[in-house]
Amino acid sequence: MRYDPPFHRSNGLVPALIALAALILFPLVFEASYLRHLMILAFVFAVVAASWDLSLGYGGLFNFAHVALFAVGIYSYGILAKTLGLNPWLAILLAGPIAMLFAAAVALPVLRLDGIFVILVTLAFSQLLFQIVISQSDITGGTSGMVTLPALSLGGYRFTKDGRIGYYYAALVLLVLAIAFLWRVTRSRFGRGIVAMRDAKYYAISRGAPEGGTRLVTLCASALFTGIAGGFYGSYVRVASPDIFGLGPLTLILSMLLVGGAGTIWGPVLAAFVVTALSEAMADLGFWREILMALLIIVVMVFYPGGLWALVQEAREAAAVALAGLRARRRRAAQKAAREARMGAPERMVETRHGLIAVAAAGPDEGAADGPPILLIHGNSACKEAFLHQFAAFRARRQVIAFDLPGHGVSENGDPEKSYNIPAYADVAEDVLAALGAKGPFVLGWSLGGYVALELTARDPAAYAGLAITGASPLNVVPEDFARGYDASSHVVLAGRQFFTPAERSRFAGSATAPLSEASAFMHANIDRTDGRARFYMLTKLSVVDWPRQMRMLREGTIPFAVLNGSNDPFLNHGYIAGLNYGAIWTGAPRDIEDGKHAPFFNRPEAFNEVFHAFMADASRARA
Amino acid sequence: MSLDTLLVVASGGLVLGAIYALMASGLAVVWTTLGIFNFAHGAFIALGAYLGWQLSHAEASGLGLLAGALGAVAAMFVIGVCFHYALVRPFERKANIVAASVITTLAGAAIIENGISLVWGPRSKQMPRLAEGDVALGPVVLSASDLVLLVTVAAILAGLGWFLGATRTGRSMRAVAQNREAAELMGLDVPRLYAVSFGLSAAMAGLAGLFVGSIRFMTPTMGADPLMKALIVVILGGVARFTSPIYAALIVGMVEAYSSYFLGLYWTPAVLFALMIAVLVLKPSGLFTSHQRTL
Repeated sequence: MRYDPPFHRSNGLVPALIALAALILFPLVFEASYLRHLMILAFVFAVVAASWDLSLGYGGLFNFAHVALFAVGIYSYGILAKTLGLNPWLAILLAGPIAMLFAAAVALPVLRLDGIFVILVTLAFSQLLFQIVISQSDITGGTSGMVTLPALSLGGYRFTKDGRIGYYYAALVLLVLAIAFLWRVTRSRFGRGIVAMRDAKYYAISRGAPEGGTRLVTLCASALFTGIAGGFYGSYVRVASPDIFGLGPLTLILSMLLVGGAGTIWGPVLAAFVVTALSEAMADLGFWREILMALLIIVVMVFYPGGLWALVQEAREAAAVALAGLRARRRRAAQKAAREARMGAPERMVETRHGLIAVAAAGPDEGAADGPPILLIHGNSACKEAFLHQFAAFRARRQVIAFDLPGHGVSENGDPEKSYNIPAYADVAEDVLAALGAKGPFVLGWSLGGYVALELTARDPAAYAGLAITGASPLNVVPEDFARGYDASSHVVLAGRQFFTPAERSRFAGSATAPLSEASAFMHANIDRTDGRARFYMLTKLSVVDWPRQMRMLREGTIPFAVLNGSNDPFLNHGYIAGLNYGAIWTGAPRDIEDGKHAPFFNRPEAFNEVFHAFMADASRARA
Repeated sequence: MSLDTLLVVASGGLVLGAIYALMASGLAVVWTTLGIFNFAHGAFIALGAYLGWQLSHAEASGLGLLAGALGAVAAMFVIGVCFHYALVRPFERKANIVAASVITTLAGAAIIENGISLVWGPRSKQMPRLAEGDVALGPVVLSASDLVLLVTVAAILAGLGWFLGATRTGRSMRAVAQNREAAELMGLDVPRLYAVSFGLSAAMAGLAGLFVGSIRFMTPTMGADPLMKALIVVILGGVARFTSPIYAALIVGMVEAYSSYFLGLYWTPAVLFALMIAVLVLKPSGLFTSHQRTL
């Protein structure tokens, strides 16, 4: 019953204003006086039900004398305006404080009662009022009630004229004032006290909220507009009948409260219209109407205890989810187009042993290639678009392939235990090559991708045309060689860290690729997309790699091999790399790209592409 | 004012008290075991009366008074069980069971009352009197019908006391009323016992309806007034033991009889409700509650 859906995106002011505008325009569109009559009744019941929500929904106080307070408003209007001859407007206003007095009288016996006893006492109280009303027939008219109560008029204009349009707007003003009042009360410090008393009574008491005082003020506050609504109702139907004390009106208004959703204010207001309309639509059904209304209440209580307001909120949530989905789809499409424009190559998803992998591939027509394909493997926390200059340079002559590692770029995140390590990345590379039907390619690996390339080619050196690594030191014994292959810097620490601070993020991105600029912004953005576990698991699972097998391959020189590092690489220990034992390295030693940093192919693309092209040409000649 | 007058009034109060005791005990059975207040109890009273009328009255089935009463009570038991499963069971173990069952039983009462109007029409009916003639007990002359009523109610309440105190089902119901968790741990089928309690309560309401129907006219809303009286009785007496509503019922019957006689018909309910509120404020657990709640 207590359903408090959060207002995620607004405080509800705009929808409320739209509804208000619709209600203001309603009588101008629908001139049938009967429709307006129904709306007036709905306004009055909405005020009563929403006020009841303050004590029942927010306060958790089962005040079943609430409808009796409404009746108090009607009768005090009757007595003040007819018997005592007071101005009807004044009588309506006075009906509020009078109902508050009666509410205080109800509150006194229930100050220290709980649960079911509150129901019984308040019910008994309303029965007591009923008995008093019918026993004092000289004041209240007894069982036949009071009739021909004075109607409202303002400056000689009678509100019953022009299809009750005066009553309509007066009732609307009453509703707006009541909702504003309830809104203020429930959002105030005291209103939070009411809810606290409901949800955690003893904690609230221990924090200094007075239990009795809170109950008293809650009941009185809920009585104010109930009494005024009663006075207004009396002036409108111009009859005060003791029938209002019966179980029928009680059930009707309680059903508005509960079908609408208790503890929401808007729910009872909405339900007042729905229930009034429903009950009017079924007016011809006689007894069946009551039965169907009762069944509706039971069905709502059993199957949908949040009520209409929960339905509204859920519809709203569903619309928000659908809208967000639409936006996300459009954003994805736009970003895909941007990536494809950057690479000048279509992007496709390939199913691999480690999930869906995004692959970009471009090249000349079938048979027009003048050499083996090129497979490009990007580094830690980067993406395939790092190789945009290589795509631009080589796509006209060869097939160029790049893919996003699992957990990077637009590839799927993998299972951290299975998919975030170097052998798994090599599996992915194999699967990508197989899916594209690319045979005997050159492999260029950058940094982490360098190790992936080493692992990939070491599995079957004869199946590859050549291997080039950049920004990576071949390792023999891990982790000892790690300390030798790299200059001690924070980069190594950051490379394996799952979460980055913003400062760490830009430092890592700046030294790994290039300082932030328009051209490198997308590489910086990629760090945030990368699954942090991919860094952490990759580094902690270094020992699952068969490092000596890679070194063996390099020593034996079974594959054309080149080392193309940037001369200014901030991480690498160039001396360590030069001192390794290579069986057949291209040009006899590691080849440094002048002024290249950790990503020379990105910072110095022309120089890098020239060297890389030369390596491929020499390697193909040597193999032939 | 003579002693005879007081005695006649007292005999009237006794009859009222007996009916109230029957209704209040039924109400108390549900209240103590399930912890909820059944607002359909008044509708059960009306439904029992109409079912009894349907089965027994010469204009309808004409099975005779005894068969009609037994049939109506049995039917009310079944209806009570169904009622429990449809309206109360869904909220079991939920925090809002009290409020939710209030509204669903109110709705159930609306369904029953309007259903009665649909089936039997709004015209009021009357049960035949339970017996003809008068019986003189010393200075007081009771109608034989009232005497039968008193004896039957006394027998039923004694039977209820025996059922709750001596039979396995009755003792299980009391156990559930005292501590649901412990009763469940002992292997009692709590949902079934709840259903039995509701059925028993409805059957007693139906029987009370037969009696009310024999002293007043039957209307679809005939249960509303007895329900309010039963509510007063249950609050005055408390539900600590199954006997406490009985004492309270006798007190309420007497208060009603005497205040109607001395203060006038209109003031009686006001006196009763004021009495009830006073008791609730001063001693919310009822007048007869020196013991822990045991049903």
